[in-house]
Amino acid sequence: MKLKSKLVALGAAALLAFGAPATAQDWGPSEPLTILIGFGAGGSTDTMGRVLADQIAEQTGWNVVVENRPGGGGVAMFTSLSQMPVDNHTIGMGVGIPVLVQLVERGDQLPFDLDSFDYLGTIATAELALVASADAPFDDLEGMIAYAQEQGTLPVATMAPPQVLMMNAAQRESGAEFNLVTAEGGAEVIQLILGGQVLAGFASGEHFPYLESGDMKVIASANANRLSYAPDTPTFIESGVDAYVDAVFFLAMRDGTDPAAAAAIAAAIDAAVQSEAVAEIVRNAVQGPAVNLGPEGARMMMVNGLENAQRLFQN
Amino acid sequence: MSVSADRLSGAFFLILGLALYFAVIPAQVEQIDGRNLAPATMPNVVAIVISVCGGLLILKPTTHQAPDLRFFLISAAFVAILGGSIYAMSFFGFEYVASPLALIIMLMIGERRPVWLLTGVVLMPAAIWFLVTQLLERALP
Amino acid sequence: MVDLSVILAGFGDVFTPMTLLFILFGVVLGQFVGAVPGIGPVMAMAIAIPFTFGLDPLAAIAFLVGVNKGGLVGGAVPAILMNTPGTPDAAATALDGYPLARQGKPIKATKMALFSSVSGDTFSDIVLITVSAPLAILALKMGPVEIVALMIFAFSVISGLMGESLIKGVIAAALGLMFSFVGADPESFTPRLMFGYWDLYDGLALTSVAIGMLAISEILRRMTESFGQAGQGVLAPDNGNPEDRRVSWAEFWSCRFTLLRGATLGTILGALPGIGSTAAAFMSYATTKAASKDPDSFGRGNIQGIAATESANSAVVGANLIPLLTLGIPGSVTAALIISAFMIHGMQPGPLLFETQGRLVYGLFGAMIIANFLNLWVGQLGLRIWVKVVSAPESVIFSSALLLCFVGVAMATNGIFGIVIMLIFAALGILMHSFGYSMVIFIIAFFLGPQFEKSLAQALALLDGNLLRIYTSPVALALLVLSVISVFWFVSRRTNAKADTTNLGVPDGEVLDQKR
Repeated sequence: MKLKSKLVALGAAALLAFGAPATAQDWGPSEPLTILIGFGAGGSTDTMGRVLADQIAEQTGWNVVVENRPGGGGVAMFTSLSQMPVDNHTIGMGVGIPVLVQLVERGDQLPFDLDSFDYLGTIATAELALVASADAPFDDLEGMIAYAQEQGTLPVATMAPPQVLMMNAAQRESGAEFNLVTAEGGAEVIQLILGGQVLAGFASGEHFPYLESGDMKVIASANANRLSYAPDTPTFIESGVDAYVDAVFFLAMRDGTDPAAAAAIAAAIDAAVQSEAVAEIVRNAVQGPAVNLGPEGARMMMVNGLENAQRLFQN
Repeated sequence: MSVSADRLSGAFFLILGLALYFAVIPAQVEQIDGRNLAPATMPNVVAIVISVCGGLLILKPTTHQAPDLRFFLISAAFVAILGGSIYAMSFFGFEYVASPLALIIMLMIGERRPVWLLTGVVLMPAAIWFLVTQLLERALP
Repeated sequence: MVDLSVILAGFGDVFTPMTLLFILFGVVLGQFVGAVPGIGPVMAMAIAIPFTFGLDPLAAIAFLVGVNKGGLVGGAVPAILMNTPGTPDAAATALDGYPLARQGKPIKATKMALFSSVSGDTFSDIVLITVSAPLAILALKMGPVEIVALMIFAFSVISGLMGESLIKGVIAAALGLMFSFVGADPESFTPRLMFGYWDLYDGLALTSVAIGMLAISEILRRMTESFGQAGQGVLAPDNGNPEDRRVSWAEFWSCRFTLLRGATLGTILGALPGIGSTAAAFMSYATTKAASKDPDSFGRGNIQGIAATESANSAVVGANLIPLLTLGIPGSVTAALIISAFMIHGMQPGPLLFETQGRLVYGLFGAMIIANFLNLWVGQLGLRIWVKVVSAPESVIFSSALLLCFVGVAMATNGIFGIVIMLIFAALGILMHSFGYSMVIFIIAFFLGPQFEKSLAQALALLDGNLLRIYTSPVALALLVLSVISVFWFVSRRTNAKADTTNLGVPDGEVLDQKR
């Protein structure tokens, strides 16, 4: 089957070489499309990217190659993508927030900005929650802040700088003091909570089994909106702390890409994201629905995300 | 040898540690306040350890003998060949560089038997190409 | 509690032809990629995960576990036969395995590694199957403060292997630590020592550094030595003595305490996230050597040395699944990959896994035991093939190994950049070896450095920035006292025996050469 799709792609390419001038409908790649994934092999971004690539290949007959370019949550990959010549065939896949944080904090050291890319679409949003052990003496963010004020200090586990800034915002607005322990990933946050070393922490799905078993509870949503699985739990903003982060998985190409090529690839991505296989892998990987905001939506997500990140870091 | 190998490497580490502490770390590590462990703390401690131990080694060298110059020249040649082939790979790709590289290395080791040369120069690169691009559907460097 | 019928049904599931086939396939693939220089079980698993999406969950996870187990057996092969370990944990096996192979006993050495590996693995699997839940709860009590103390203890035990010069050992360790600091710092994620290369933000890839320093540098050094004079095989010719081609029961039985100690150490360290198989292998080696009546025979082909390292690093793998299955916490890179395999099949390991997926979990346990038997069986066969393969001329072996390392590192890291890093560390390795600095000490420090710094930052946060408050944790305090005792003990032994001759990774066969 793989061979067949390659033959089809070859045929399509040959046709194209002799065919009419390309428009978005009949643009087809003249060589394999390459998707560069900004994370290492075997992780959730990698797996989602590869299933997406399979779907694109299956639906369009194009030949799609996937490569891993880990480093800095995608910053290394977008750095090299921005330095490549425009070839209409290379696509980058990453997560918004790590890139936005580096752009805000040390944009002068990076060779790219948001305008260096043409955005193609998104796949999913990872939901970020503040969680605590079920027997913690508070149930929501306001209660947690009050408890911290009462105790003098309260240990909280974070995974990344934006979460530190969110907790700093909470400290500033309330005068409570949090003792921030940096963990490497959500699983370690869960470990610290279960071990009793911290009382609360941020997690993006690693806590689900413990919600089911009743060992943990959600304190607040760290996203702009409430969590899909805990619609009654307020967000940080609703709890009086004006801060949020959204982590969106998106795809982009070098700016200056042939508009016909970008449109054709964006359409192929959109069709693939709607497939059952992608929906299933996204559901399994980030516990949420597969959502494509489209090229313009993806760009707006990055622009708004940058403003939000700037606001977080200004304080 | 009048200067022992240990005195030489000890002096190197003494200077390296100082260079790291006074020049490299201040320039390449950011200052952060208000957290528990500053990014520069551990590198600075380790730089001092390197420097102090380098100094101690000058004072108290062992009888270790370094290999002769010929060894270093030949290894440098091998490293240069590998470096050159990596550079070539970044332009032409693994497919075109692998066989010449294998040939040069095998000839340098002194292999002259055609069967073995064929194995190393044609068979192995082809097998790797087949394994990676066809079976695993991954890209070669 | 899980119902007996579920347990039996789970074990029964393993015996479908499809599942058995995938376990076998996994073990064979694992042994193969473990033995081929440049590729390892971690990369094989990472590549295989997207392919397992379409499989039945038990077959998929059993396959991955098979790759992991096979990889540990296979990983010892290049370490023993060629002194080119592809992973840091196999570097410990090379210490005694390679000298033994040079004495014309490659089959004996690899067989001992196989038996020890399977023994350690089976031990930790049994612990996993029987007492994983209480052990996991106990492991949770080891917070960052205790982990810092434990790592200091690990360093203090491994320091017993520093080699001819304590000063040079410390320099090698400090250099390894310094390189481990490249990339984001563990608390504020600021870029460090990157010189503008964002590819370094996640740190220097362990694959590039380990393969460059342990495998490529050894190959280059050997090519330099045989420059222009086409060598024969990499191995010494078989001396024809059948005694040297097998491991007798008496020999195996004489290693029982070593195996038990290695397996216990590996299981304990495996149940705790973050320390890993490399430290387990070296701690087991160091303690075995210290406990031996004839410590001077280590590093010269003592099978006790092989038994110590292989039983420990293999025991870590089974034990890694203890926090993984019961709590959903991965203790290593391979464990994290197994979690993502669970997740792409719509399951998340955690406290309810045994209840909701009991049948699958016990199926997995059954698969692990089967995989151990297959490992033993496939290994017996595979070892002979590898010994044959390695008897090809040096020129073919070395050039092929170099190409494989190039491709393997490129796939495991980010392309050409990872290969460049590999070559830089190969050159550094040659220099360090030439001037008598232990590359293995360097690698251990490089490997443990990030975890140590992260745990230190966490411990400081929890102790309100005052490390002296460590007395609030009795476990940490006890470990620190043990560290001090072990350092004093090693230092006093060193002065008594003048110099330690193990010389971790330094003169490898050279001591032997002079004796012959």
